Amino acid sequence: MNLFKIIYSGMDKYKDEAEKAVQKAIMQKGRDAGVKLPQTAYALPVIYAITGKKIITVGGLEEALALAGGFVHQGKTLQQALDAGTASAMYCEIIEAVKYTLEENPYPEPLQGHLTDAQIRAFGVALVTQDIPGVPVIIGECKDSHTAASIVKDYQEKGMLTFLVGKVIDQCIAEGVKMGIDLRVIPLGYEIESVIHVVSVAIRASLIFGNVQPGDYQAHKQYTKDRVKAFVNVFSDWDDKIIAAGAAAIELGFPAVTETYINEVPTLLLHQPDNEKTVDTSLEARKIKIKVTKIDAPVGISSAFEGERIRKADMYAEFGGNKTKAFELVRMVDLSEVEDHKIEIIGPDIDTADSIPYRLPLALVIDVAGKLMQEDFEPVLERRLHYFLNYIEGVMHVGQRNISWIRIGKEAYEKGFRLKHLGEVIYAKMRDEFDTVVDKCQVTIYTDAQKVAELEEKIAFPKYVSRDRRLASLTDESVDTFYSCKLCQSFAPAHVCIVTPERLGLCGAVSWLDAKATKELDPHGSAQPVPKEGCLDEKKGIWTEVSKTVAEISQGAVTNVSLYSILEDPMTSCGCFECICGIMPEANGVVIVNREFGEITPTGMTFGELASMTGGGVQTPGFMGHGRHFIGSKKFLYSEGGIARIVWMPKELKNDVAERLNKTAKELYDIDNFTDMICDETIATDSEGVLEYLSEKGHPALEMESII
Amino acid sequence: MSEEIQVMDSNTEVLLEKGKKDGADTIWDRKAAMKTPCGFGEKGICCRICAMGPCRISPTKDKGAQKGLCGATADTIVARNFARMVAAGTAAHSDHARDIAHVLYMASEDGNYKVKDAGKLMNLAKEWDIKTENRDLYDIAHEVAETALNEFGKPFGTLKFLKRAPYQRQQVWSEQKIEPRAIDREVTSLMHSTHIGCASDPDSIFELSMRTALSDGWGGSMIGTELSDILFGTPTACATQANLGVIEKNMVNILLHGHDPSFSEMMVYASEDPELVKLAKENGADGINLVGMCCTGNEITMRHGVRIAGNFYQQELAIITGAIEAAIVDVQCIFPALADLSDLYHTKFIATSPKAKITGAEYIEFVEEKALETCKGIIKEAVLNFKNRDMENVLIPDNKSHANVGYSVETIIQCLDRVVNSYTDEFNTVKPLADVIWAGVLRGAAGIVGCNNPKVRYDESHITIMKELIKNDVIVVASGCAAQAAAKAGLMTMEAKELCGRGLKEVCERVGIPPVLHMGSCVDISRILDIVSRVAKEKDLDNRDLPVVGAAPEWMSEKAVAIGTYVVASGIDTFLGITPQVTGSEYFVDLLTNRVEENVGAKFYFEENPTECARKILERIEEKREKLGI
Repeated sequence: MNLFKIIYSGMDKYKDEAEKAVQKAIMQKGRDAGVKLPQTAYALPVIYAITGKKIITVGGLEEALALAGGFVHQGKTLQQALDAGTASAMYCEIIEAVKYTLEENPYPEPLQGHLTDAQIRAFGVALVTQDIPGVPVIIGECKDSHTAASIVKDYQEKGMLTFLVGKVIDQCIAEGVKMGIDLRVIPLGYEIESVIHVVSVAIRASLIFGNVQPGDYQAHKQYTKDRVKAFVNVFSDWDDKIIAAGAAAIELGFPAVTETYINEVPTLLLHQPDNEKTVDTSLEARKIKIKVTKIDAPVGISSAFEGERIRKADMYAEFGGNKTKAFELVRMVDLSEVEDHKIEIIGPDIDTADSIPYRLPLALVIDVAGKLMQEDFEPVLERRLHYFLNYIEGVMHVGQRNISWIRIGKEAYEKGFRLKHLGEVIYAKMRDEFDTVVDKCQVTIYTDAQKVAELEEKIAFPKYVSRDRRLASLTDESVDTFYSCKLCQSFAPAHVCIVTPERLGLCGAVSWLDAKATKELDPHGSAQPVPKEGCLDEKKGIWTEVSKTVAEISQGAVTNVSLYSILEDPMTSCGCFECICGIMPEANGVVIVNREFGEITPTGMTFGELASMTGGGVQTPGFMGHGRHFIGSKKFLYSEGGIARIVWMPKELKNDVAERLNKTAKELYDIDNFTDMICDETIATDSEGVLEYLSEKGHPALEMESII
Repeated sequence: MSEEIQVMDSNTEVLLEKGKKDGADTIWDRKAAMKTPCGFGEKGICCRICAMGPCRISPTKDKGAQKGLCGATADTIVARNFARMVAAGTAAHSDHARDIAHVLYMASEDGNYKVKDAGKLMNLAKEWDIKTENRDLYDIAHEVAETALNEFGKPFGTLKFLKRAPYQRQQVWSEQKIEPRAIDREVTSLMHSTHIGCASDPDSIFELSMRTALSDGWGGSMIGTELSDILFGTPTACATQANLGVIEKNMVNILLHGHDPSFSEMMVYASEDPELVKLAKENGADGINLVGMCCTGNEITMRHGVRIAGNFYQQELAIITGAIEAAIVDVQCIFPALADLSDLYHTKFIATSPKAKITGAEYIEFVEEKALETCKGIIKEAVLNFKNRDMENVLIPDNKSHANVGYSVETIIQCLDRVVNSYTDEFNTVKPLADVIWAGVLRGAAGIVGCNNPKVRYDESHITIMKELIKNDVIVVASGCAAQAAAKAGLMTMEAKELCGRGLKEVCERVGIPPVLHMGSCVDISRILDIVSRVAKEKDLDNRDLPVVGAAPEWMSEKAVAIGTYVVASGIDTFLGITPQVTGSEYFVDLLTNRVEENVGAKFYFEENPTECARKILERIEEKREKLGI
């Protein structure tokens, strides 16, 4: 077996196909027609990252072919063979780009094909926290659908982000594997060429989070090898095209495991004929260690199920959601008051249903105790309930506190899922994630209507009120310590967040209290205190200690930071920010867009394009990534005049932040219903339209000092 | 990296200049005085094996004497001279091994010599069917030693270690009737065959030479390595430094030069004696700095990380620094010139072996029974000599390089274990190595060994070939003075992976090894035979099938002739960077470089241009790959 010849033969086939595809595109669309993969700011991202060239027209595809050709030199060394892998990837991307150019919808449901920038950014936090511990790419067809499903489910239950290429997709469909981008099982396409879409995800992670420069292929390879924990599983017989694609994977640092014999290359290319061992072999090859928490429950528990929805028709039981009373509460009690691992159900369990869906009131009361526990951590722990409950296969959780809404699916019920399992999951997760502060934990689940109402009144409301007071009193001025957070340095090595009471981390996932708790949970971990010392400019938010810390943690990449300014040394972004804010000079204000919004904004750019201006730990004056919650903060653009600068937001975002934003506007400027003055996509997305609306509403930004 | 090589040469330059000032006579001077070497000797056509001659055959056909007085042709004379070099080389390695076996025989729980690697002893005992259960460790050790000693003179049978070769190779040896019997017997027998009036058929003489050489590689050398590991520990990866810069200005510098580890090991222990260190300090030094040279340097750097002062050609330069309190030697590769040279400085030149008494040297006999005591006495002499150093006339060049050494077969396999996936493969095998070669990630492997030879620029052939090979994804293992050349050139550092092709670089990174692996002294070429055979066995092939070569770019000693011959007879092509003294017989040259392949599946290449040599190596490797279809 001559491995390199197999790679060269596969590459030749891609080359041939790509050349034909480009000819066809030129004939049908002409050279000047645009070539674009949906919603990415990086043109053909793989080719862009490798060569630094943005291919945007059909004519440009000819140049792309030539660029790929630069990697074709069929020699006898590994580098030449891996270059053939690189060339294969580039040819695949050309083939796929032509599909998107010539066909309206080349990947109909349930196929995914290309992923948008926003979809990749949405995975950011999960990737950096290793909540997604790995990215399996499964190619081919398993010997039977049962095997396919058990392997994919195994990855899913481990929280992996799994991509499928080939007939394995149908096998998983046949076995009812829960698939979709929210369930971390993504069927890319049936043809091997569609594998480029996951390569594109890895490469864009490098561009987006790593701020690796387009054209610096060496650095991209280093990034993907070190930080994107992808690997490949090939089932059934491989062919030379699969092996050529495998060479591309290996060049990016992703090992491959094949079911059919192949000459092994230790750590990179492995032969595992025993399907039962494929998963373990792969994890060891990619050096992925999975923390196993044994939870006593009849269904899967995995972060991969976080996005699972339980539709009405599939619903067995429901709590809250305006139909019944439901609340959840984590409270700190004395060690002596807690019996560890006690799970008690007070009231009827779900197997007493007289009709389906079975609707019951619910109070989830979690008592925790520990020597290092603090009352301030209660909301931090409580907010994790949303994730813990969503990790359960067949359980959906929405909301928080007393707007908690839980659904349990029929399938889960049939598998034997009962209320005590909610308790088991909460108990196991609390002990596992918060082991330094939670020494003991007990869960009491009430479904007795009278009891639920009574407890809500007696213990829940007073807690919520006192917490709100505490939160409201927490301002940047009221504390003497901020926190640095370098949680995403595993993906964005030059980025560091400074988290203050009024400015949460830009991923939206780390508040000041979270950071404080994180520091307590892991004293040498991602969050470290920054003394609020050496104030140079209160308005802009410049502290020498803050800048010093940022310089240190970013390894000197960023030396000065203004916490409250978008124009002067703004805080950097990792890439997984919830929103991006960019200035709209003609409106004398800023536009904010959240990553779920895919359309164009008045800046002439989409979220993805705006996001590509910053991210990866780079300071770009005029652009800033941030969390949703920051929008209602008094410190938002404090230096530039505050929230009055906000002139445009997508409607959904506007509605989401309206309450806090209006309150802050009232306090700062005595304006009622400020949100109504802000334009959105239903009103206008063109510059003139926006300006017209602002003038009509008398938006304060128009009267303010020039933003530039 | 290339800069480093030039700098390394500057070490030589400055010291030669100093030597000239000091009135030293060095190999460079003697080479100049020697002018052109004897033309007949060079071609191997001068016969001095009886007193009727010397006879010399005319190098020109049809002109002058074409036969010796007895009628021996150039073909016979060349073959006999070559054979006698093989015999001498085999004798040297094997006699070294015999001493080690004796030391193992005298090892005891509370003696100077102990068993350090009991596991290796047990494995060898098992391999040799020696009972191990319910037996005292030293009982076993003594029986192993005795069995080893019997390998030298046993009346019947063939050498035990032959079974370590792939069975296909054993088959070749058997068919060719070159399975060596007792080691001494092969040396003796070859001397007999090349006596006046005995064998004259060059083919037969070469076959006998191969048999004798095999008794070195798979006999003497292998016994030497195995028993040294049992006694002194199997080398494990460790860091060291190499080049004359390791000589320390403010320390008592002791240069150990020669080959036998039973002496040098004891010197290492003695040098650490607190009393002696104290004495050194009392005499104004900061401490005792032991440095190694040639294969003794290799033995103690492999096991203790003792720093390497240099290789063969640098022995005089070390003394010219003026900072060596004592140069202590045992056997092999020692210039007699060191005696006169030491007289120019305060350096004590001490010979220790009754096998190698040297005119002008102080002689302190090393007796194994009183090993530690003797060594302490020698070190004391050196320490007391510190005060005699002329500090004004000291010049220690700065240059030295870092190196990672200690790659015994066991250590290499341990490193390979790092890349084994526990769900697909077994640990403790060479499969990962075989896999990367088969996949093409590595194109092949080369063992680069041997000496320095003033016929070429020192170290340059070694380094040029090594660099060219690693650049082309061929992994290099090295021993002897070749290994020291690599260490000095920085090729044994992890950073040297940057000089490699992508495949070798990837292997270095993942396995955690430098691209050029130090496998030990010249006796330790047996380690190379071992690992090559393991790869062959992994693939159920003969050594001859593997894309693997041997090279001795700057060889000079008779031991090297024996080595080259056993490497070829083991099925591995051998590239010689110095043409052996055989060119007086076209027939014999053709035999070595062509026809021998038909018999044993490998042959010699003579190529003095290192770049061209590397090219030929790569070409041959690809040829083998083509045949394997990989």
